[in-house]
Amino acid sequence: MKKILLVEDEKALSLLYEEELEREGYEVVVVYDAESALEKIRKEKFDLIITDIRMPGRDGIELIASVMGLRKDIPIIINTAYQSYKDDFMTWAADAYVIKSSSLDELKNKIKELLFEKETE
Amino acid sequence: MPELRKDILTGRWVIISTERSKRPDDFRPAPGTEPKAESLTFCPFCPGNEAKTPPEIMSVRKPGTKPDQPGWQIRVVPNKFPALQPGPPPPKKTKGIFQWMEGIGVHEVIIETTDHHQEMTELPVEHLAEILKIYRVRIRAIEEEYHHQYVQVFKNKGKEAGASLSHPHSQIIATPIVPKRIKEEIYGAERLYRNHFRECAFCRMLKEEMEIGQRLVYKNKRFAVLTPFASRFPFETMIVPLEHSAFYRNISDQDTLALAEALQQSLARLKVQLSDPAFNLVLHHSPNPQVSDKAWPGIENYYHWHLEVMPILTKVAGFELGTGFYINPVPPEVAAEYLKNTTFSKS
Repeated sequence: MKKILLVEDEKALSLLYEEELEREGYEVVVVYDAESALEKIRKEKFDLIITDIRMPGRDGIELIASVMGLRKDIPIIINTAYQSYKDDFMTWAADAYVIKSSSLDELKNKIKELLFEKETE
Repeated sequence: MPELRKDILTGRWVIISTERSKRPDDFRPAPGTEPKAESLTFCPFCPGNEAKTPPEIMSVRKPGTKPDQPGWQIRVVPNKFPALQPGPPPPKKTKGIFQWMEGIGVHEVIIETTDHHQEMTELPVEHLAEILKIYRVRIRAIEEEYHHQYVQVFKNKGKEAGASLSHPHSQIIATPIVPKRIKEEIYGAERLYRNHFRECAFCRMLKEEMEIGQRLVYKNKRFAVLTPFASRFPFETMIVPLEHSAFYRNISDQDTLALAEALQQSLARLKVQLSDPAFNLVLHHSPNPQVSDKAWPGIENYYHWHLEVMPILTKVAGFELGTGFYINPVPPEVAAEYLKNTTFSKS
């Protein structure tokens, strides 16, 4: 079973994502900030990371930069309500940029696509 | 999919991002959560991180090295998250009086050097000439492959100029329409050519600037660096080929060397005199010949490509936005004098 780390500070939203992604057959580990995410990444092995950008403390872009210092090979999806961060070239450290929406189809498709790419590398 | 929308009163086109979830606070940085690119340890443009960029379009690299691997000196890659979706020009749409089209274009990034901290002023002149040759190559390729009407080459340096990453880079955005600023320059040049000078207005201006000398900052055999007579911004400079040329796509290899020298002179003087300011560098050149030949017959006689360098020293405020009238607190003659008299340290 593929293991996904979900970094999302809005608890209600993280619950929704967790349920939806588990229904898709993934194991989902949820954390609410960048520090906890880094702690998890140091200790556990993940197949993919989904992160919000705006979070209390270190933001998602700082988190991605720190992940790059630990492991460059984990696919990362930025999942944010804000499209303006696309102008920030630091987001290139991620593999996909998804704008939050009431439908999770785009996010689910990106997850499948990136996990497939990783497997066939 | 973003949209290009036309303001029918002014003829100005705007890229409207139509993606979901825009809120007012999209534009309000939350306290302590602004990306701190400069303090981050990872850079997607640095060697070793090639996998984090889309596959390269072209590169200058050591013989025997493979694309998207280290060994490059300059790389051109598509923008991973582009302002316009890649593709050929879309058809124009209308509804009532409104005109728009799908936001399709080309958005590329030129990573200018492997060194995260090496600015244009510090590059060997031959290396900068290679970057300027790449501008030419990409303009031609985008015009010929995608048929977009205008290829804008630009560089943002420093946060105040809109750069999100300090690793030296330029950008190219090709649009399916000719932007209003460019059209205004072309129409102005055409009017002066046909009704007044019977020669290119830029060539005429160059002649007079050489005679006066007050706004001339630097000159080599092929290019002049000037502070324009009606500069909008303090210490704005313009780099103009001395020999008439409308199309940057035709610049010779030899001239890219002379241009590199002039550009470095311009930027180095700004850096010394103004303590390394943020700046925007833009290329203005004739639109795609497939369009120019029909829309502006004879453009090769009256338009003259040039580079504009605008240091970010003042803020565009209400008066400028309301009127299009700029208030420049530094007369270009004074700016030129400062820039001309720059003393470079020998270290």
